[in-house]
Amino acid sequence: MFHSATNPSTLPPSRHILSTASRNDMARAFLPCSRPATRWLALAILLIAALSRAHASVDYSTQIRPLLQERCFSCHGALQQKSNLRLDTVELMRRGGKSGPALVPGKPDASPILERVATVDPEDRMPPEHEGQPYSPAQVAQLREWIAAGAPAPSDERPEPDPRDHWAFRPRTRPEVPRPSPPDPTRLCNPIDAFLEHARESRQLTPQPEAPRALLIRRLYLDLIGLPPTETERTALLADPTPDWYERLVDRLLEDPRHGERWARHWMDIWRYSDPWGLGEQHRNSQKHLWHWRDWIVESLNRDLPYDEMLRLMLAADELHPNDPDRLRATGFLARNYFLFNRNQWMDETIEHVGKGLLGITLNCAKCHDHKYDPFPQTDYYRLRAVFEPYHARLDVLPGEPDLDRDGLPRVYDRTLDTPTWRFVRGQENAPDKSAPMSPGVPSLFTFAPFEVHPVPLPPEAWQPERRPWVFEAHLRAASNRMEAARVRRNDTRARLGAITNAEPQVELRIAESQLAVAKLDLVAVTRRAAAQREQWHEGAKTQSSRRDAVIAERQLAVGRQQLTLDETELRLLRAAADKKDSLSKDLAAARAKLADLTQTAAAEPGPDATFTPLSGAAWTATRFLDSTKDDPASEFPRTSTGRRTALARWITDPRNPLTARVAVNHLWNRHLGAPLAPVVFDLGRKSGTPPRAALIDWLASELVDHGWSLRHLHRLIVTSAAYRMDSTTRDAADTAARDPDNQFWWRRTPLRLEGQVVRDAILALAGDLESQRGGPPVAPSAQEGSHRRSLYFYHSNNDRNLFLTTFDEALVKECYRREQSIVPQQSLALLNSRLVGDAAPRIATRLIAQTPAATDDAFIRQAFRELLGTDPSEAELTECRQSIEQWRQGITPAPNNSSNDRARSNLIWALLNHGDFVTLR
Amino acid sequence: MNPLNRRTFLADLGMGFTGLALGSLLQRDAHASAPGAWRPPDGQPHFAPKARSVIWLFMNGGVSHMESFDPKPMLTKYAGKTIAETPFADTQDPKKLALERLVVPDANGNQRNTLYPLQVGFRRHGQSGIEISDWFPHIAHHADKLAVVRSMWTTDSNHGAQTQFHSGRHQNDGDFPNLGAWVHYGLGSLNENLPQFISIGTREYWNKRDGHYLGPAHDAVPLRIDPANPLDFSRPERALSADEQRTGLGLIRRLNELRGIEYPGDPAVAARIAAYELAYRMQTSVPDIVDFSRESAETRALYGMDLPHCREFGTQLLAARRLVERGVRFIQIQHGGGGAGAWDAHSGLKANHEGLSRAVDQPIGGLLTDLDRRGLLDETLVVFATEFGRTPGSQGSDGRDHHIFGFSVWMAGGGLKRGVVHGSTDEIGFHASQDRHYVTDIHATILHQLGLDSRRLEIPGRKRLDIDHGRPIHAILA
Repeated sequence: MFHSATNPSTLPPSRHILSTASRNDMARAFLPCSRPATRWLALAILLIAALSRAHASVDYSTQIRPLLQERCFSCHGALQQKSNLRLDTVELMRRGGKSGPALVPGKPDASPILERVATVDPEDRMPPEHEGQPYSPAQVAQLREWIAAGAPAPSDERPEPDPRDHWAFRPRTRPEVPRPSPPDPTRLCNPIDAFLEHARESRQLTPQPEAPRALLIRRLYLDLIGLPPTETERTALLADPTPDWYERLVDRLLEDPRHGERWARHWMDIWRYSDPWGLGEQHRNSQKHLWHWRDWIVESLNRDLPYDEMLRLMLAADELHPNDPDRLRATGFLARNYFLFNRNQWMDETIEHVGKGLLGITLNCAKCHDHKYDPFPQTDYYRLRAVFEPYHARLDVLPGEPDLDRDGLPRVYDRTLDTPTWRFVRGQENAPDKSAPMSPGVPSLFTFAPFEVHPVPLPPEAWQPERRPWVFEAHLRAASNRMEAARVRRNDTRARLGAITNAEPQVELRIAESQLAVAKLDLVAVTRRAAAQREQWHEGAKTQSSRRDAVIAERQLAVGRQQLTLDETELRLLRAAADKKDSLSKDLAAARAKLADLTQTAAAEPGPDATFTPLSGAAWTATRFLDSTKDDPASEFPRTSTGRRTALARWITDPRNPLTARVAVNHLWNRHLGAPLAPVVFDLGRKSGTPPRAALIDWLASELVDHGWSLRHLHRLIVTSAAYRMDSTTRDAADTAARDPDNQFWWRRTPLRLEGQVVRDAILALAGDLESQRGGPPVAPSAQEGSHRRSLYFYHSNNDRNLFLTTFDEALVKECYRREQSIVPQQSLALLNSRLVGDAAPRIATRLIAQTPAATDDAFIRQAFRELLGTDPSEAELTECRQSIEQWRQGITPAPNNSSNDRARSNLIWALLNHGDFVTLR
Repeated sequence: MNPLNRRTFLADLGMGFTGLALGSLLQRDAHASAPGAWRPPDGQPHFAPKARSVIWLFMNGGVSHMESFDPKPMLTKYAGKTIAETPFADTQDPKKLALERLVVPDANGNQRNTLYPLQVGFRRHGQSGIEISDWFPHIAHHADKLAVVRSMWTTDSNHGAQTQFHSGRHQNDGDFPNLGAWVHYGLGSLNENLPQFISIGTREYWNKRDGHYLGPAHDAVPLRIDPANPLDFSRPERALSADEQRTGLGLIRRLNELRGIEYPGDPAVAARIAAYELAYRMQTSVPDIVDFSRESAETRALYGMDLPHCREFGTQLLAARRLVERGVRFIQIQHGGGGAGAWDAHSGLKANHEGLSRAVDQPIGGLLTDLDRRGLLDETLVVFATEFGRTPGSQGSDGRDHHIFGFSVWMAGGGLKRGVVHGSTDEIGFHASQDRHYVTDIHATILHQLGLDSRRLEIPGRKRLDIDHGRPIHAILA
């Protein structure tokens, strides 16, 4: 059918083996020679298994129980016992439930379990419709055969353990540090190594020695600040004779402000940082100016703000510190979930990612039904939703900028204090169960502390943000700047046109005068409105005179604006073609009439009900839940907040919370060492099993909590461990590699493919081009190509992503608990051909040449290796590079001279930027 | 299987790494040795495949099913009547309408109750006698090759249905990998010189990242019909002669090989060497894909490349055929940009669909002819899809609104039955009535033809639901 011989599926088995012998010698050269034999063995085992299946009866442990576990245990096991029935041991099946035994050994036809999975009637069939995949006829036949054979099972079969007893759900205690006694004491730098060595010891796995110093230096720089060391730093460190050079370097880098920039990006992955996006001009997701939250993360990490405090602020700074804009930035974490059109989607994302990101649980799986693996009933989902139900997003005016389109502080606040939360039947938003609203709460499994909600009365500045001292100042300054600008414009116009007496220039000049007049009136109006508002705060409704002044000022401003409109219409009329003049004359008359009206209104005494437009200190980020074409109605900012998020924040950061610290240390470990201790960083639940190094997680978590939740303490612990400092090679360790090929026991470092941000930043740094400017608005997509700022500051949303970074597995803004480390040809193309590399290679070469102008090729190659890859070249590498340089030099016309020399060396730099180790943390 | 084994295994099979994103598999090693271990897919089909490539043609905006592949004369008969006044009043039974899931109440996506007559004639075609509207004469010419499914339904009555058609999930549920990404994740490469999942054309409205939790390595690679710059980063920004480049690539390879000795068994070293070779070959073979100089004038005319109104789409489809010939797995072509998609005919449906069908009909007909005569149609599955149909009732005076309750897609080749119609809507094209299919049934059918069982493509921490998997439409399998 296929004409292509390359389709592996069409190759007969013998071809596989043929190809083994003939292909990819190079790749095979790196492999221990035992591999092909292993494969033969595996094949042989498969064959034996296939042959024997026909004769032997079905095996319970490998064929029946896993099936039951997958399809049945969630309702009939330790998690739930629907109809009082458990199916997790044969004994329990025989005992049965409400309707008697489920299983009668030897009698398939008398065993209801078989009948229920085999029936075609969807009403009767198990698992029920939408609850799981029906058994296939082959599976039913297996089950029948097993029952007919007497339902044999191991005699020591045990029921599933109590789900509440799962390691991550149990209270965390500080485990005792094991005391292994390795032959080489340098294997134990700190207790982390004791835990790991303890596990390795019994398996006789020898860890790798420490990596060479040059590699350690590169490792620490790239890991802790995301940039390579300068040549001066590198040389000094290599020559440092003191025994604690490593620890001192760690301390220095942890205190380097670039550390915050590097690690902020990790947390931005996990906390789902995204600049706003939408469709065309319409803003639909996340918040404008969300970069304030990014800057808060960077600054907090640089101050070593405790992790628990960071979480409390991210969840509830608006209740805990309602008057502190610096801390309010933290709530960008929640403001980011804003979605213009749909509240359920917004809430679902919030619940899912507070669950996954902060607690390591997949509460999202309990949206439609009780959780299938963990003891979370569906109501837990909606109780957590009730915590978030009141919150919305808004922008607060920041000092110096009253225009919220230009800048503002994105933050959250409780807007709808009484909106009930309904449980959705089967998760369907059109099927709310209105029998009783859900009360706010946390998963009922965890009872270490009561969940207590206390409403938070807010200070006036929180619900009347215009009271903040900088708000009026910002409005006033903006108005006075507008006036100055109008004055300059008027003066310019006067200088340009004042002497000309033609009609048209005269009108133009009048327009400039009117513009200035408007700006003046505007300033007066802003001043009076501010005064009136101030009086209102102090004296309530009594403040008649200031209100009157403000109203009049606004009316006069309206007159001024109308005069301007009139002037502009007049100019249009003057310039219009003959056939347009009629209609413009009518416009002019109408404008004149309106001006007369407005002038009359302005002259009249304002009535007692007349109001003015208050100056605003914040604006709700309007939603369109009710109608996609218009904003939902605005409302005043409430004077209290529900306190629900504060309660949640306290509960999450309670030292007794079994999850929070475990999740955090697992993230840190993963980002430092390339693989987590608990395999699924966003799910520590039962589905992910008990990690082999659970004790180490608990010890690290205890260290975190007991050291005031200091992330810096954890960073220091991890990077000063021998585990972190080990070499990543498997050379001279074939034995160990054979016994633990997947490095389950952390006997060596796993090399990491660097994130796109680090790759790009390192290239710029080496070229001497990286800008050190910290913080501020993101670099727009159109400006990124030429920008030399750190990649962290690039605009990054669902719709706008930098192509180079994306090619290197840029974080997905919707979810990125782990960064992928793919190796794909597009990355090679990016490093070979991008403008980034194309610009940097000659600049790096020029810099190196300037450093040592008289350097020989060999000296140049050595220097390039050290700076780009962190190590010296081997003899073989040196020879290869030398030959290529020579080849380039020869090939470049005109004949060898200085410029061809430079070009050949630039080419070498280009090649080294494409070296695998340039994008690898060895 | 440890990563080393897996890697050699793949290398031995000559499958390469393009489609496999080796690194991301390595990252998940931790699971491989746990009991009952999850394992990454090995790139092999799960059972004998019937098709090896997919050309996925997606009409952005929503094609009217009644005016394309599911003609309904009753609309003309009862034109101007409200549905309540016709014998089909029961189509508006609220229970039947309940499957709609709103993102936000909108001026669009509402029921339109005054029946709007068919805007085009239709006739039976071929031996199968499949009824197809007169706007698609070239496709109709291939009626006996089509498997038309007239009983599709979805749930998002706005254009989030575009994402839904690709991922299988309503946008209120979050984001999920698209079909092409699953294919890319599950199947090894057939040609190491080319990306295996390619996207052509415009898709401004819907999520551009296909891989989602499978990882960015499973996103579609955008291809431009521009020989000078068909693929991102395929052209050096710093001028290098071919010789200089070759010398450099040789050096890069040897330096990486030397590192391989230093770090034996680091699979990333070999993967990277392979990636550079592929990159180099891609750099030369991708421009070739969009270089049509060696295609005959007859072939170019077949795709309508000499007609201004179908040149763009015809060129894209010719590129698709060339990609299929070279073993690319999944080619996703989106037609119709602007707003939520060009086919979104809220008003002026006749002019809109008439123009757009002229732009796509001949190229698609040409593609089917061309694939067939080259013997490629047997192993290539061509899919014609759109996010939803359009309302039987009129919107304004001359448009139709979004309609999720019944619409049509068709497939051809790839081991499907030829010249069949499967499923139906009621007499006014309102509800899919017989053999109803949700969008993931199309996914399941395609995966099945490619030899994949989506249930064996699980990945840790991600629970997929029954509805995500869908069920193959066995009735149309040959």
